Amino acid sequence: MSLRRRLTLSLVTILILFSINVGTHFWGSFARNESMEAYRNSVTAAQLSTQVEQLLNDKRQTILVLDTIRDNTDDQLDEEELRQAREQLESIRLRIRELGVVSHDVTRLHFDRLQESSQLLLDQWLGFYDGYNSPSYQSDVNDPVPYLQTSEHLKELEQRQAFIAVQRANIIDRTIALTDRITVIGFIASIFLTATLGFFLVRYTNRSLKHLKRGTERIGSGDLSYRIDNIDDSGELGDLAAAFNEMSDKLRNAMYDVSKARDSADEANAAKSIFLANVSHELRTPLNAIIGYSEMLHDELSDERELDRAQFQQDLEKIIRSGRQLLNLINDILDLSKIETGKMMLHCETFQPGDLLEQACDAITPQLRERNNQLHSPDLSGLPTLYNDASKFRQVFTNLLSNACKFTENGHINVIAREPPEHPGWVEIAVQDTGIGMTEAQQKLVFEAFVQAESSTSANYGGTGLGLAICRDYCELMGGSIRVSSEPGAGSTFTVLLPSDPELTLEAA
Amino acid sequence: MSGKILLVEDNELNRDMLMRRLNRAGLDVITAGDGEQALELMRSAQPAVVLMDMNLPVMDGWTACRHAREDTLISHIPIIALTAHASDADRLSALEAGCDDYATKPVDFPGLLIKIEKVSESH
Repeated sequence: MSLRRRLTLSLVTILILFSINVGTHFWGSFARNESMEAYRNSVTAAQLSTQVEQLLNDKRQTILVLDTIRDNTDDQLDEEELRQAREQLESIRLRIRELGVVSHDVTRLHFDRLQESSQLLLDQWLGFYDGYNSPSYQSDVNDPVPYLQTSEHLKELEQRQAFIAVQRANIIDRTIALTDRITVIGFIASIFLTATLGFFLVRYTNRSLKHLKRGTERIGSGDLSYRIDNIDDSGELGDLAAAFNEMSDKLRNAMYDVSKARDSADEANAAKSIFLANVSHELRTPLNAIIGYSEMLHDELSDERELDRAQFQQDLEKIIRSGRQLLNLINDILDLSKIETGKMMLHCETFQPGDLLEQACDAITPQLRERNNQLHSPDLSGLPTLYNDASKFRQVFTNLLSNACKFTENGHINVIAREPPEHPGWVEIAVQDTGIGMTEAQQKLVFEAFVQAESSTSANYGGTGLGLAICRDYCELMGGSIRVSSEPGAGSTFTVLLPSDPELTLEAA
Repeated sequence: MSGKILLVEDNELNRDMLMRRLNRAGLDVITAGDGEQALELMRSAQPAVVLMDMNLPVMDGWTACRHAREDTLISHIPIIALTAHASDADRLSALEAGCDDYATKPVDFPGLLIKIEKVSESH
């Protein structure tokens, strides 16, 4: 989970808990207020009941006294007294009605009964006052039933109301206790949840940060293969870790490239040193023969004995041959260095590749005989005319044929030329032999200028290992290519592909 | 000195030239073209001194020297390395392979004769 999400979640949770607390508080006060009002009504009703009871009692006493007075005297009540009495009765009626307003629904039945009986009682008393001055009026106020009934109903109502007041008070207590409990629980839960969320937030974030720190330390100390992969965070910290990993990947690739470049530079340097050592070795071999024979002939000339002229001439020829070999070697080295420094130029002319190939085949005849090899070069006449460097062309094939001869004994050498269908106007010339062949590894190195042939091979077959490097460079210079296919013991095939004009490949490229 | 010299050299010109010069110096010379031939000839002909080119086909000079030093029949025969490798490292590698002395091509012939004299006397 992302850091932002975690923070949002924590905040939302805390807000929800807070609103629950506030809601509980409001609900509690509302419930308390409601119960409080009911309680207040009950108290008011109780007061009213007491008043009504008092008033009824007083009125009854008054009426009983009046009744006794009426029985024993002829005193009349004047209008003023009657009006006052009626008003008092009406007031009692009003009080009872008020009692009805403040009474709870639960006490409705009791109130109705009270109203009924009080109506009867008050009507009786009103009848008493109405008929007081009339001598024919027969008073019935001595009958206690209506009063007692009303009084009893009033008491019942009072009791009922007192009971409800107690009930209300209990409810208020309970509501307060409940809301208090909910508030406290909510508060504690808020604190606990906030703390828990905070703890996990800090812990996860801290753990991820620790992993990141360790990762950067490892990467910083050079362990570029280290991956920060133990971050269980798909958010910002995970992204940061991924960015670190990517950085370390890129660094590692860069380091790899640099070390590869350094290695190949080291390799090139080592190859150059080896090349120089080999050049020195190759120069010393013909020099050894030249100096050795010269010194020997010098000694022979100063001898008293008669000179064997034929032998002397042969030895001189050996000196000349070694000198030429030395010259060839030096020329090869110079050619290679010219190519390496980009100073080798092409001298293009129009020529028939078939003609030059035939010349090269003729020139190799002595070497063929020496090693008893057969040369086959079927029909070289139908090839397209080339506009390219004829001298380099000749050198390449003289070299390839001489190589084929060098590594083949009592075998066959084939020169096969054609115009490849996929490159009209180009020529493809293959020089096949049935000689010793090469392993895959040797084939990879065979065109390398600074990689000398294996020491035992060069010891066996001679050569400086420069010929094929020059061939490859010349072919590329002429806009073409050279490739080899071979198997140990089954011979080698060198195939040269050349354009009719070196410019053609430049345009194509 | 008495006894034959075994000249091990794969290059035909150099072999011919050295053999003839050694002959002219009055030494009896037999020749071999590779390391294996050299070991066979050392066993059969028991030469007094071996002149060994190091770059040889079939078995190179270093290997041949090591074999010679392990073979009690021929381990006493002194070997002078003869090579166109001219560096100190090449010289050391020849001596480590068991050669008694070392001469660089092109060969200083009078110097070579002195070396042959020296190694044959010390054995």
